[in-house]
Amino acid sequence: MKEGNLALRNLTYARFAELGRAPTAAEMAAAAGLDRAEVIAAWERLHAEHALVLDPATFEIRMANPFSGIPTGFRVQADDRWWYANCAWDAFGICAALYQDGRIETSCPDCGEQLRIAVRDQRPDDESLLFHCLVPAARWWEDIVFT
Amino acid sequence: MNLFRSGEHIERWLAGREPGATISVAKLSELAHAWWGDRLSPGWRPHTRHANQAILDQLGLAGDFWRLP
Repeated sequence: MKEGNLALRNLTYARFAELGRAPTAAEMAAAAGLDRAEVIAAWERLHAEHALVLDPATFEIRMANPFSGIPTGFRVQADDRWWYANCAWDAFGICAALYQDGRIETSCPDCGEQLRIAVRDQRPDDESLLFHCLVPAARWWEDIVFT
Repeated sequence: MNLFRSGEHIERWLAGREPGATISVAKLSELAHAWWGDRLSPGWRPHTRHANQAILDQLGLAGDFWRLP
């Protein structure tokens, strides 16, 4: 990964953590002293390297794993802010990336029961729950949004 | 990649589809911390395939299902 792309990637992630949502290309252009087209070009290179995932229609951020750029069924509260995660793995990943205790809200896809999990010192308070991963690791990036 | 109330709920949700892999939520939290813990670090560098596979292996997530391409 080229240093310029890495710097923009790090700035993008820092803004995502700070805002509790995906920064727009226009916001990143202002923050990085670039124009919007330059930000999108760099983001496209990062997308190709699986460092983030762009919405193919808008070229805005769809995923900066573990953060989600759109509302999902996985909400995470930590450090007095909320974020959306892409999946259950990423929900714990947000607490991990922030080095914070937190609270995860999701629901069981079978019965719809709401699940609220507190994460303290990297451990969930309800250890009775199970995580199921449907797609094998070899195919995760074939369709990362589905995965 | 979802959380379920129990194995029975997973089986019902699969509705005959080929199951993937199931792990405890405690193991998931360990995995998440190993996988994503450096994501906001200013010194972050892309993980190599080898490094990511080592994370899975060290957590006992072995076998074809957990083998990265």
